[in-house]
Amino acid sequence: MTPDPIPLRAASMLECRNCGAGAPVDEHFCPQCNRILALGRYGDFFTFFGLPRRLGVDPRDLERRFRDLSRQFHPDYFYNAPPAERLASLERSSYLNDAYRTLRNPAARIEHLLAVEGLPPAKSDEGGVKVPPALLEEVFALNEELDEIRELRESGEDEAQLRVRLEKARAPIERKREEHERRIQELSDRYDSQAGSSAAERKTTLEALREQLLEQKYISNLIATIEREQGAGKVAGGLQASGEHHE
Amino acid sequence: MSKVVGIDLGTTNSLVAYVKDGVPVVIRDESGDGLVPSVVSVGTDGTIFVGREAQRRLLTAPESTVYSVKRFMGRGIEDVHEDASLLPFAVGGEKGGVVRIGIAGRQFTPPEISAFVLRELKRRAEDHFREQGEFDFEVDRAVITVPAYFNDAQRTATRDAGRLAGLEVLRIINEPTAASLAYGLDKRNRGTIAVYDLGGGTFDISILKVEDGVFQVLATNGDTHLGGDDIDRLLVEDVIAEMPKGLAPQTVQAIRRAVIQSKLDLSETDETAIRVESTIGLPTGYSRRITRADFERMIMPLVERTLGPCRQALADAGLEPKDIDEAVLVGGSTRIPLVRRLVHELFARKPHSDLNPDEVVALGAAVQADILISGRREMLLLDVTPLSLGIETMGGVMSKIILRNSTIPASGREMFTSFADNQTAVDVHVLQGERELASDCRSLARFRLRGIPPMPAGMPRIEVRFQIDANGILSVSARELRTSIEQTIEVKPSYGLTDQEVERMLIESFEHAEADFEARLLIEARNEAETVILATEKALRRSDFDRIAAESLEAGERERIEDALADAKRAIGSDDREKIQRKTETLNEATRHLAEVVMNRSVREALAGKNVKDV
Repeated sequence: MTPDPIPLRAASMLECRNCGAGAPVDEHFCPQCNRILALGRYGDFFTFFGLPRRLGVDPRDLERRFRDLSRQFHPDYFYNAPPAERLASLERSSYLNDAYRTLRNPAARIEHLLAVEGLPPAKSDEGGVKVPPALLEEVFALNEELDEIRELRESGEDEAQLRVRLEKARAPIERKREEHERRIQELSDRYDSQAGSSAAERKTTLEALREQLLEQKYISNLIATIEREQGAGKVAGGLQASGEHHE
Repeated sequence: MSKVVGIDLGTTNSLVAYVKDGVPVVIRDESGDGLVPSVVSVGTDGTIFVGREAQRRLLTAPESTVYSVKRFMGRGIEDVHEDASLLPFAVGGEKGGVVRIGIAGRQFTPPEISAFVLRELKRRAEDHFREQGEFDFEVDRAVITVPAYFNDAQRTATRDAGRLAGLEVLRIINEPTAASLAYGLDKRNRGTIAVYDLGGGTFDISILKVEDGVFQVLATNGDTHLGGDDIDRLLVEDVIAEMPKGLAPQTVQAIRRAVIQSKLDLSETDETAIRVESTIGLPTGYSRRITRADFERMIMPLVERTLGPCRQALADAGLEPKDIDEAVLVGGSTRIPLVRRLVHELFARKPHSDLNPDEVVALGAAVQADILISGRREMLLLDVTPLSLGIETMGGVMSKIILRNSTIPASGREMFTSFADNQTAVDVHVLQGERELASDCRSLARFRLRGIPPMPAGMPRIEVRFQIDANGILSVSARELRTSIEQTIEVKPSYGLTDQEVERMLIESFEHAEADFEARLLIEARNEAETVILATEKALRRSDFDRIAAESLEAGERERIEDALADAKRAIGSDDREKIQRKTETLNEATRHLAEVVMNRSVREALAGKNVKDV
């Protein structure tokens, strides 16, 4: 089976509305007259930034590119331009901001790669309620512990005691999270090293990444649940917070 | 070329600034005052007073004077009950619609009131450019600032106010970001900055990263209902609690003025008095000691309300307080020592206040105006949208399309389809806010997607595109993807004015502008007449007048002067400007000879006096 990894990369030309010259679809400015071009297509943030499709992204380099492109596209500099260029500047800036937000965040970056490589998004088909099999044991134990803690709180158990138990319940979930982060890093590195490998091999890696991402989302939700529970125990502690930040 | 300015349209005070030879400067009046109080008053004859004059009228005509109107911009009547209780002017409007302010028998929307303040600033700037000998002194374009936490309706209301004042609003920018631009000018540094802006009516916190001249906002948060006004109200309520019920509006305003003065004092001294002069319903006046400690105890809960938004902004930026390189204070309320102390504690560093916290926002607005006009690229502001934008979905749930703290411009897309066969329209409800339920979010607009081609249910694929521009203002467009048919969208703003309403107000304001202009000419004519009348009366009252008349005046001259004086005094009581001017001129003519005689005598006497001394 030959997957179709690059559906958006079809070589097509863009017409400059100012001078009528043709420009490659990923150009930002007309090579002929230097005017800003209308956004040719949506979908591939890596190319937009002039980056290869890799998961390893240097945040400093990405930020520099973002600033540099902002200085080229921003509507501030097109205030006196014709309407078509003003619109192009607005579109390109909006798209740039979206692209930067996505590529800056490692998880969002993987999701974007899945999308441009034609894989389904990292969402479970049933809407996210199903427990990933790899987490069944931890989730079961955690739910039991949380139920007990809630009951104890209702019956007026000492808060300090409950806090200790919550911290304890959180520890194995945190370990899972760290484990997943390491795993995702490994898979990302593998993907980046597979540039010369077959499409099928790359796809296998991507599918593994997708699986890990799904589980990671589930873990984040579990941690949020624990944090809510921890928050419920310290309603009266709010005023202490302002003193926390002394050096 | 016509001029471009930056305007800080504040809750309490407004300012106008521009860039002169690359440096932003505030435009001041003859006495060096840059602040125009954001107060508007309507006289019994329809004359509009703005600024200091209107502020004075708060004590004499409180029912026809409006202040702090910024708090009502883009809001509905159900939002403002708490504020309305102590206000001297009537606040009304339909439920679910724009607030209306009733003064002097006329109804105004908040953008109309703000437009009076903007017109005053425009006039001040034009006077300044005229005095500078500029050939084209007209000011027709401006950058206007708003609190960072203003929602779409509040921003749109501000832009409408600009239009009503005859200004093309080049850009709406956020106050803390504007301040950072003004600060960035002389520093050229890089780092992470927290701008804490506590003004008259609103609080903002913005976290920015500055590098290579790009001012990128990482996160912003705030409270559009927290500021010096709330502190004043606490103090006023505290004083009123000691007084009989049912105080006259004049008395409440006198108390308000007194507590504001003591608030200002307490930023300088440890103890002062709240002193109210005797007024209606308060014949003996009122006085009471207040220490800074008392004051701080009272306002602590209010000031602490700023800490939550600060922590949220830091969390959204993914930062800890220790990551902040500099904290900058903006807004008059940051002069309060307690505020400075809390900011210092929160960020564990002494906050900056090198630039005048009242002026720094207007200076930044001027810089941004200059960037837009000149195309200079050394500096670039990248701001964010303060609140998430979304639509109401099945079950009254808010579905987010553009998340808060997204860099603007930002766009988002959402797909819609039909629920019934051959359905040709879909209703869309646009919301802004962070809450889960649509009913807890701000309703921005409702619109109907029309012209969907008749198809079986679920077949149409309508793409609705939400675009937030660099002003933080939303526009919506839609397209049916199967047919590529552009959809018509009629947006009905929930708390704003429709374009038609703005147009109508513009026309009305031109009519009124003529009336206002005429009213001002009338006042000027009266002032002129009064000057001449006073001078004449003074001459007639001279102890040596009889001798002067006998020695120097012609027969009947004295009678002619007295007749002209009586005519002028009668004319001044009328509203007929031309008559006043005619009678003033006649009186001027009648007294010309007398004035010469009197002046010659004075000179002779003066010389004589000198001679005596010299000899």
